[in-house]
Amino acid sequence: MSRPRDEQSKEERDRRVLELWERVVEVEQRLIPTGLHVFGRASGERECADLLRAVASFDRPECGARALHDLVSEALGLGPYERLITDKTEAGWRARARVDEEVRACVELFLREGTAAACELLQKESGVDPAESRKVFELLGRIREQLGTSGELEGLARALRGEYVEPGPGADIVQNPSVLPTGRNTHAVNPYAVPSHTAYERAGRVVDTLLARHRAEHGRQPRTMALVLWGLDNIKTQGEGVAQALRLLGMRPLRDSLNRVTEVEPIPLDQLGRARVDVVMTVSGIFRDLFGATMLLLDKAVRCVAELDEPDELNPVRANVRARVAEGVCTAEEASLRVFSNAPGSYGTNVNFMVMDSQWESADALGDLFVTRKCFAYGRALEGREAKGALSRALSSVEAAYQNVDSFEIGITDVDHYFEYLGGVSKAVERHAGGRPAVYLSDALSRDARVRTLPEMVRLETRAKTLNPKWYEGMLGHGFRGVAEIESHVTNTFGWSATADAVDGWVYEEVARTYVLDEQMLERLARLNPHSARSLVARLLEAEGRGFWEAEAGIVERLREAFSDLEDRIEGVA
Amino acid sequence: MKVTALIVGSSLLGPLRRAEGEINRRHAAGLSVCAYNLGAPLAEGEWASVESDLCGSEIVFVIHVTDGENASRLIELLRRQGEPGRTVVVINCMPELMRQTRMGGLTFGAKGGLEGADGGGRARRLLKSVGSWMGGQARARRKGGGHGQYLRLVERMPALLRFVPNAGRLRDLKHYLYLFCYFLQPTPANVASMLLYALKHYGGERRLSDVKVPPPESVPAVGVYHPDAANIFESFEAYRRWYDARARRSGTQLLGPSKTVGLLLMRTNVVSGTRRHYDALVRAVEREGLAALPVISTFMDNRDACAQFFVEEGRPRVSQIVSLTGFSFVGGPAMNDSEAAVEFLKGLNVPLRSAVSLDVQTIEAWRESHTGLNPVQAGMQVAIPEIDGATEPFVYGGMPAEGVEPAALEERCVRVARRLRRWNRLQTEERRGLKVALVLFCFPPNKGNIGTAADLDVFPSLHEILTRLSADGYDVEVPADADALRERLLGGNSESFGAVANVAYRMNVEEYLRLCPYASEIEAEWGAAPGRINAFGRDLLIQGVRLGNAFAAVQPTFGYEGDPMRLLMSRGGAPHHGFAALYTYLEKVFGADAVVHVGTHGSLEFMPGKQVGLSGECWPDRLIGELPHVYLYSVNNPSEGSIARRRSYAGLVSYLTPPVEDAGLYRELASLKELLRAYRQSADERERESLYAAIEEKAGALHLSPE
Repeated sequence: MSRPRDEQSKEERDRRVLELWERVVEVEQRLIPTGLHVFGRASGERECADLLRAVASFDRPECGARALHDLVSEALGLGPYERLITDKTEAGWRARARVDEEVRACVELFLREGTAAACELLQKESGVDPAESRKVFELLGRIREQLGTSGELEGLARALRGEYVEPGPGADIVQNPSVLPTGRNTHAVNPYAVPSHTAYERAGRVVDTLLARHRAEHGRQPRTMALVLWGLDNIKTQGEGVAQALRLLGMRPLRDSLNRVTEVEPIPLDQLGRARVDVVMTVSGIFRDLFGATMLLLDKAVRCVAELDEPDELNPVRANVRARVAEGVCTAEEASLRVFSNAPGSYGTNVNFMVMDSQWESADALGDLFVTRKCFAYGRALEGREAKGALSRALSSVEAAYQNVDSFEIGITDVDHYFEYLGGVSKAVERHAGGRPAVYLSDALSRDARVRTLPEMVRLETRAKTLNPKWYEGMLGHGFRGVAEIESHVTNTFGWSATADAVDGWVYEEVARTYVLDEQMLERLARLNPHSARSLVARLLEAEGRGFWEAEAGIVERLREAFSDLEDRIEGVA
Repeated sequence: MKVTALIVGSSLLGPLRRAEGEINRRHAAGLSVCAYNLGAPLAEGEWASVESDLCGSEIVFVIHVTDGENASRLIELLRRQGEPGRTVVVINCMPELMRQTRMGGLTFGAKGGLEGADGGGRARRLLKSVGSWMGGQARARRKGGGHGQYLRLVERMPALLRFVPNAGRLRDLKHYLYLFCYFLQPTPANVASMLLYALKHYGGERRLSDVKVPPPESVPAVGVYHPDAANIFESFEAYRRWYDARARRSGTQLLGPSKTVGLLLMRTNVVSGTRRHYDALVRAVEREGLAALPVISTFMDNRDACAQFFVEEGRPRVSQIVSLTGFSFVGGPAMNDSEAAVEFLKGLNVPLRSAVSLDVQTIEAWRESHTGLNPVQAGMQVAIPEIDGATEPFVYGGMPAEGVEPAALEERCVRVARRLRRWNRLQTEERRGLKVALVLFCFPPNKGNIGTAADLDVFPSLHEILTRLSADGYDVEVPADADALRERLLGGNSESFGAVANVAYRMNVEEYLRLCPYASEIEAEWGAAPGRINAFGRDLLIQGVRLGNAFAAVQPTFGYEGDPMRLLMSRGGAPHHGFAALYTYLEKVFGADAVVHVGTHGSLEFMPGKQVGLSGECWPDRLIGELPHVYLYSVNNPSEGSIARRRSYAGLVSYLTPPVEDAGLYRELASLKELLRAYRQSADERERESLYAAIEEKAGALHLSPE
């Protein structure tokens, strides 16, 4: 906690101001969806400046375009933009603001007057070579044009006429603008191409940040981590999550003469420059299905590390395996199991169902359910063998849990799957390791590859979305469905309390103030979708009942009243 | 004498077995041929027997091996055994394996090229290209070099060989090329000759040294194959004459662009006579009233086969293409050029389906497996064709554990064929007569959640869709607006049944048991029908509204609600009666011609069953049945979408994600930023102090304590 004001030196105050500045700007600049899509409708009229700016903030080697931010930063003589965003001093913030302003101005001019004007502005103001900036604006122009028309109904009509529906990749637009135009038959990736060179490179930065973050708070890097691997981010990034697992283990992927990733090899410790990290991978059923060969590779990587002749303190995989064998609890074979998923042909942890349907009394049940559903081991000759003991033992040494998030379109309170997996595994660790692990998420789709703790991420999502008028008014613009979306965010937030105790009490209070205690708002919700409004109020009451927040008695009373009013209203509707 | 053949796929085992018998019969050679399929990683036990067989073999053939793990284990094994007298013939494998070739003085160098023999000009170049072929394929992206080379080799190789001298330092080189010639045309006779040729020159058996080995027989490189025809047709016209005459005699469908299914067959299977699975599928297609045009795939680049046989003056002769090659459309086994494939298929505008033959796992292993296809097949035969836009990855045949050639899975062939017919109906029938089911989700199941779908406002979307269908000539009712549509679905008679949505149909238990062939299996899981979910009295409730020839339905959930025991099961059992009743209704009562699932995502594709390469026992397969399936899917979710493609044969139509904007600041956050800005800009220490006090107060109210 901060000390009383008078004891603070000027420097401390300045630091605190910049820290707050960073956190405010972090919310302000977070990209959020502001509404829902209607199938077949073009979004020509929609606000796309922020989206285009985000697209322009990344290098696009496929069209020879460099990030606008780097072009500006370098032309202004400020060096690479990356350096500016990691410089948290007053000077750093000023430099960054200058670049951001130039970029903002030129993208706005581009939207009003087109490529030539924007290039000219950039050249005049910052000295950016128009030959470079033109490539960026040409890409932005294409995206804008594609957003201005919709091929979705035509795609559906073609499909129903039994015609060929063109395939296309799937990703966030910012991540891969070639997902446009929509109306196409989305495909996954060739599993043998994973992880790509780029994914392995990018994973290096995220893993460094992750380990540094943990070291800063816990004095040393974690010896064992639990990783959640999904198909989603691994398809969209050609295997960044997989690459992160390999990096943590200190392994690198190898390609065969047909350019397929079919082998792994250890990075020698002197090159790695740190201890290896043992990783317990809980893998979604979808990842399992889409990346069968990759699961074999990850299993192979663990076994390879377990057999390296290295000191225990630098090779926790080997140390953990040997300890289990020495305890006499299992064979080395079983002690090396690290890749777990559902039973073959079965999907999901069911933790989300249990939470949403309030079918749990003690939170332990959620951790146990996770283990029950996810204790099937994959790897060479395993094919999903049930191994509850092995998963429980592997989780018992976990100090940190982590999941790669590569999307702002699908955030941790947008869907129930993040809490069922990352929350589920962290609750399972708590059960078996006797303590709650540190829980981290990356923001892989950002310039600085940030890593946040789970509570930080929940706060950020809450501020940027759930409590943000820009977000909820966007949703309410869609009436009935919008209310259901708001309710679903509250329930997903609740899921983070249930599984990981990662939600501050004030979050519930602010949600209650925003949606229930504000009578006008409550009336709007009730009018648009009384059923979801009722579910939302019920969830807040459940959160209070389960002790996730200590609500003032008056607030609880008003929630109860609201609930019974909504009940009456729904009955009356009937 | 013993020959060990390490092969991949389903085309060589049969001819090898026949050759073994024939050579023993004619030459009393006492030959035994041991063969292993190295398409997917072998188990430890299998490696032990490979090792012992290799040990006693005079000659080893290694053909088509590209699996990384198998290749490296095999290389290690060959090195370890290091038997100097043993001949190793490696054909068409990855470069590191090519280098294991041992034939007299012949070896392959680092890049798969020739070493150890000087001179030889043309023969040397030939060998070099043959040796580096597989590696070259991976590098030849977009150049099409590997493909042209293949066809040239097939046609010209025997002629070229005449220029290579029989004796002297090129002797082994010539022998290798001869064996390669037989391999390129793996007819039963050529495979026998390949064995005999190798035994004659490298077997060390005197009695075979004077045997006359026939020269390679030749089969056209491309053409049309039909199980009922004696020969391969080298032109479409020749096939048409034969086919239409036969069709007139038997009263079956004539070839015609709207009613013909084009099939792409693997050349090796056609040539080697291991094609019963093809025959069964062709016949199943014809039984459904469609004409079949099965052509030999041009392997590395199917655009050639398609352009030659499936297109006439720029117009397609077929209305659907089914690839049975198991490879990408352009690129063959070692790479895929999906851009070229898409460009071509877009021009043709004919849907591509890719069906799977179990070539590197057995039918029995697949049947028993909960996984379905092994990772090699799932990657090569499903994931890669998908990138070309191929749909409906049905398993239709494969290698039986105790057989030497592929067999058909009859029930699967019928399913594939019926679905082709259903799709053909969508292509050819008057739209006003076609019925479309539009299925919405509702999760968790309460009225507020009707129309659950990531990123999508479902009711306006549904309204747009109905409007479009109506404009396109489908006979559907379009409610006044999205709200009216929602009212119809949410309201209606729902309350009187305690249902989330309007009940459009009550399927009584007797009807359900009669129409749903799997009802008894469901009863074993969920008790007697109708059960307690989506049920009312003795009826199962079908929730939705009928809108002319459209039916907007609400899909039930898994049925976990209020059932903690079921949540705890680690393996799923079956969908509940209400779930099965909906799809039974859509197919058999409503009579849907197509099902559209509206938005990301429902439960059908996550029902229990194999992961990929489903059987008729898998629930998603049973539920979707014969119905053409289109799934509207958020473009940012390729992972769950792929499950829908593989497990419920959906063609996806992607939709855009919502607009994104900077979150911006609001209320107290916005004023905090102003205070912070003022503080940073102020040079006056007293002002800064008072600003700081305000900042801390505001930060406290916003719960922004230091992190």
